Amino acid sequence: MTDRTINMVAAALGGEGGGVFTNWVIGVAEREDWLCQTTSLAGVAQRTGATIYYLEFFPRSAVKEQAPVMSLFPAQGDIDIAIASEVAEAARMVQRGFVTAERTTLIASDHRVYSIAEKAELGDGTIDPLVLQEIAGRYAQQYIHYDMLALANEHNAVISSVLLGALAGSGVLPFPRESFEAEIREAGKAVDVNLAAFSASFQRALSGGVEQFEPSVAAEPVFVVPQATSAAGAELLRRLEAFPESCREILYHGLDKCVDYQDYAYAHQFLDEVRDVLALDDGRQDYRLTRETGRYLALWMCFEDIPRVAQFKTRAARMDKVRDEVMAEPDQFFDVTEFFRPRVEEMCSLLPPRLGNYVLQSSSWRKFLNLFTGGKQLRTNTIGVFFSLRFLAGLRRFRRGMLGYQHEHAMIGRWLTVLRDAAGNNPELALELAESGRLVKGYGDTRARTTAQMLAILQRVEEGEGVSADQLKAWRSEALADDTGEAFGEALAA
Amino acid sequence: MAERSFAKEVLKLRSGDGEVFQGEGILAITKALLQSGVSYVGGYQGSPISHLMDVLNDAQEILGELGVHFEASGSEATAAAMLSASVNYPLRGAVTWKSTVGTNVASDALSNLASSGVTGGAMVIVGEDYGEGSSIMQERTYAFAMKAQMWLLDPRPNLTSIVDNVEKGFQLSEASNTPIFYMMRIRGCHVTGEFIARDNKAPEFSNRNPVSPNREAEKIILPPNVYAQEQEKIAQRLPAAIDFIKKEKLNEFFPGKHEQLGIIVQGGVYNTVIRALQRQGLCDVFGNSDIPIYVMNVAYPLIPDELVEFCVGKQQVLVLEEGQPEYVEQGIHTVLRRADVQTRVYGKDIMPMAGEYTGQVTLLGLTRFVTSAGLPGISLRLSEEEVRALQSTLADDDHNTLLENVPPRPSGLCTGCPERPLFSALKQVQTELGPFHISSDIGCHSFATLAPFNLGNTIMGYGLSLASSSSIRHALPHKSISIMGDGGFWHNGLTSGVTSAVFNKHDGLLIIVDNGYSAATGGQDIPSLVEPNQIIATTIDTDGPVRDDEQPIDEACRGAGVKWIRTVSTYSIESMKETLRDALTTQEPGLKVIIAEGECMLNRQRRVKPLLNKSIKDGKRTRRARFMVDSETCTGDHACIRISGCPSLTIKPNPDPLRQDPVSYVDNSCVGCGVCGSNAHAAILCPSFSRVDLVYNPNGWDRFIGGIRQSVIGWLQERDERKRVARAL
Repeated sequence: MTDRTINMVAAALGGEGGGVFTNWVIGVAEREDWLCQTTSLAGVAQRTGATIYYLEFFPRSAVKEQAPVMSLFPAQGDIDIAIASEVAEAARMVQRGFVTAERTTLIASDHRVYSIAEKAELGDGTIDPLVLQEIAGRYAQQYIHYDMLALANEHNAVISSVLLGALAGSGVLPFPRESFEAEIREAGKAVDVNLAAFSASFQRALSGGVEQFEPSVAAEPVFVVPQATSAAGAELLRRLEAFPESCREILYHGLDKCVDYQDYAYAHQFLDEVRDVLALDDGRQDYRLTRETGRYLALWMCFEDIPRVAQFKTRAARMDKVRDEVMAEPDQFFDVTEFFRPRVEEMCSLLPPRLGNYVLQSSSWRKFLNLFTGGKQLRTNTIGVFFSLRFLAGLRRFRRGMLGYQHEHAMIGRWLTVLRDAAGNNPELALELAESGRLVKGYGDTRARTTAQMLAILQRVEEGEGVSADQLKAWRSEALADDTGEAFGEALAA
Repeated sequence: MAERSFAKEVLKLRSGDGEVFQGEGILAITKALLQSGVSYVGGYQGSPISHLMDVLNDAQEILGELGVHFEASGSEATAAAMLSASVNYPLRGAVTWKSTVGTNVASDALSNLASSGVTGGAMVIVGEDYGEGSSIMQERTYAFAMKAQMWLLDPRPNLTSIVDNVEKGFQLSEASNTPIFYMMRIRGCHVTGEFIARDNKAPEFSNRNPVSPNREAEKIILPPNVYAQEQEKIAQRLPAAIDFIKKEKLNEFFPGKHEQLGIIVQGGVYNTVIRALQRQGLCDVFGNSDIPIYVMNVAYPLIPDELVEFCVGKQQVLVLEEGQPEYVEQGIHTVLRRADVQTRVYGKDIMPMAGEYTGQVTLLGLTRFVTSAGLPGISLRLSEEEVRALQSTLADDDHNTLLENVPPRPSGLCTGCPERPLFSALKQVQTELGPFHISSDIGCHSFATLAPFNLGNTIMGYGLSLASSSSIRHALPHKSISIMGDGGFWHNGLTSGVTSAVFNKHDGLLIIVDNGYSAATGGQDIPSLVEPNQIIATTIDTDGPVRDDEQPIDEACRGAGVKWIRTVSTYSIESMKETLRDALTTQEPGLKVIIAEGECMLNRQRRVKPLLNKSIKDGKRTRRARFMVDSETCTGDHACIRISGCPSLTIKPNPDPLRQDPVSYVDNSCVGCGVCGSNAHAAILCPSFSRVDLVYNPNGWDRFIGGIRQSVIGWLQERDERKRVARAL
């Protein structure tokens, strides 16, 4: 094909090695005696946005006297290869019209790099990548895609080497595999790992590249309640059998959490409450009401107080998790410094209700306790701090007598009462009330805001003004719209 | 030392006669300057010509060998004034900047230069920051060229043409005693390609061969000279330029078999037109077009004879002129009317008035042009409808789904950026004392006007934030707040802002973000660059260069009469908040200046990473900090993300089977700047953040104490774990 150029557009996010990738491709073209013109657009995007690279190829062998005139703009309907490093960027290629069914090979990784808008949501703001992949699959001539980041990590290589493998394997550029490999070798950086990643990706692109995209319909694994490890545990699990099968997975996790949080009795208490809801559940949507009540009840009952946080921070498995997360070597020493800032409220929540309330209301006590608040940086891996935290974790055996516990359980009780009341005459509303349990989360001011919103909702329902399920659903989404509570306040007032 | 090093590439600048030179447009221009025998070069960085400054900076050795003088100018005005060397002497010189912003800054000197006229070739290489990828308001340099009578070259974007036009440009400048704009578009700056090099030429005059001072009184811009100079522009310089352009064939005529038609195009968009013709089957891959094309590599002035010659006998021509207003098109109409040529001229009537001429826009315009001609011998591959359809191939449903699901990626501050904690602090103070009206400025800190900070109301120009606050300060409920970068401070802010503010008894607050570099343009050095150790937020020792002629910002402010000056590390959010509160509430009169110090993290990482790796490799005990979030205690509210927006602070699926909201997660790009921890404290977030200090090459004490800790804590943990398992489900 010497009557036109081969055109390729690539989008790379900052730090993904788009420049390295482009240089490799230029090098390969040079090896194969092809002219390759590239240009790039960084703009302000040099900081966090995407850089767009545009390349055109033409064989030198076809050049007689005049050099070919190549374009500096990628244009709709004129692209042979579009490369994106993650799902949303692949979809952006389609959105911009750079992917044409008759012509374009789309190469993109299946992993996600979340945008700030997705990350900043109060709940789950992430988009569904399958929706985008399905569209990309329909608009591309071929859609070569797999989790290229995972493949890169598997080989401890950079993602650009995986992308290069996919490009080589796609066969759109008439360059042999050896040229690509020679280019990686010549670059001279982490040659072995990059070659291994290149090769693995090359194979995947070869074998899996030509088919149209079909969303994988992975069958949900059937949940099997694990064996109990103790007699008391077995007794709890036996009680699970009284619940519909569709509820058992969540209730099992709820029981597990409650036992870990407090004791067996607490888990029984949890099941008692859920049982009462089940009795009112008409079974719609596979007992969704029971299931979701169980989910959020377990989470609320296991609210994160000081003993709970201390329990997590001192647990044996935690240091392994830390080691894993920061990618430390197996025997590497490291220090872990926690950033705590307990307020007087959190301290008082550990006291018996009367005393706690008294201290909270006494300005001199508050002043005194304020001496101990403020930001703390504690090194958990020192013996002193560990002992202190372990002591705080041990306070959980007195939890039932603490102000914090009473405070949370008063709210839980109110929630369940309203929910059960609704279950009888307005099951839709009951379900929305159960789902509202999702609002309750966070620490300090966030916790105060989210529980206040929950209470405001409960109050409106208690007032019996015929709150509808849709209304409640709208309030809930407004509660997640901003963290000042403005949207929620307006919605509630409307 | 800039973000990107061209140390390797600049060696190519030594290529001699006949060698094939391969590289980027920017590098080709530098080579062309050396081949033209320039005596001096200067400029001010800014996209898309930042790299030209970086190349020149990295090429100092080669420049030195030739005796070429280089200055990293303080501003575009400084750079423009450099061209005065070419007024009296046959010295060739070139300066560069981002346009139109830089041209605006330089306009005083440029106008005077253009009035005086030049003896030696004087060239301004403007990076025309227009269209996709641009970072400024959309205007073009063309208007300035017209009103000051400077010639504007806009060559075809291939390296051979780019290089040839630089050399021809100097000759044109000398032949017509007029300074030249040499325009490079964004994509042209970054285009790669090749050309046949020529030998570099040492300048005739330099420190090796000084000029003998020569006064030409008539060139000084005082009346009555200025009246004579204006007449001279029209009577002598313009005709001389037109003669030269014609004689040297700077503009190009490409023939084509459909002689009834013609396309008139500026050189810079030539390749896009050719691609459109190729796609319509009217041109081969080598640019042999069926429709004749007149390429104006000189976009200003127009050459009437050439235009008439091209248009005579044609039924219709298409003028492709990117940007507005349509100066070229108007000029062509005038030329054709005066010559009474009746050719129909299409232009902005079928092309968009504003915006970039992308491949798609050009293809559509060309299609409409050819279709309107209705010539029987021409068949197009794509009809107008088909071209339009290419723009939106998506079905409505898919279009809407993508619109809803493809998230925007706005620019933001880098991982570990020292400006992030400053804006976190300012945002927290705003909840106490605000809402605030903030005068913002040009620089990385402009991103504070975007989510998640949303701080800032106006941006009036580089270093102009304080100046722009001077008119609103009397009408604000709080002391006025201006934010300026160190780059902007030295560029313009000290004089236009600080000096004027003190003089006018301004009592507002100026926050100067001192990150040590001109960071937004690629990390170039600035006057207040100090030994990195001296930047208080820097914690790792280094053997940085020491300057004996320091130019600290605080002393400059003091010298300008500011009494209230505080220097605060941006990373200590608490003390920043306190200082901000203090500045906004103090009764003390006069301008308040807070210098918010913290080294640009991008540059710092570039500097520190090799040192860190070397230290680890050399077996020295080394600590490296990074942050993490405990996914057990994180409840998925993401307040930490909203308050910081750090790219390394992201989310991942919640490991708790009961929870449905993703948890926050610090990815491996974390540089351990500590802002997460400070925010967790300052904003009372949650107990999920931990700093992990990794120890490399532990010493005996590390092993000893680490061993004891591990055995004591490990023993207890094991015991607790046994108990837990016994009492588990």
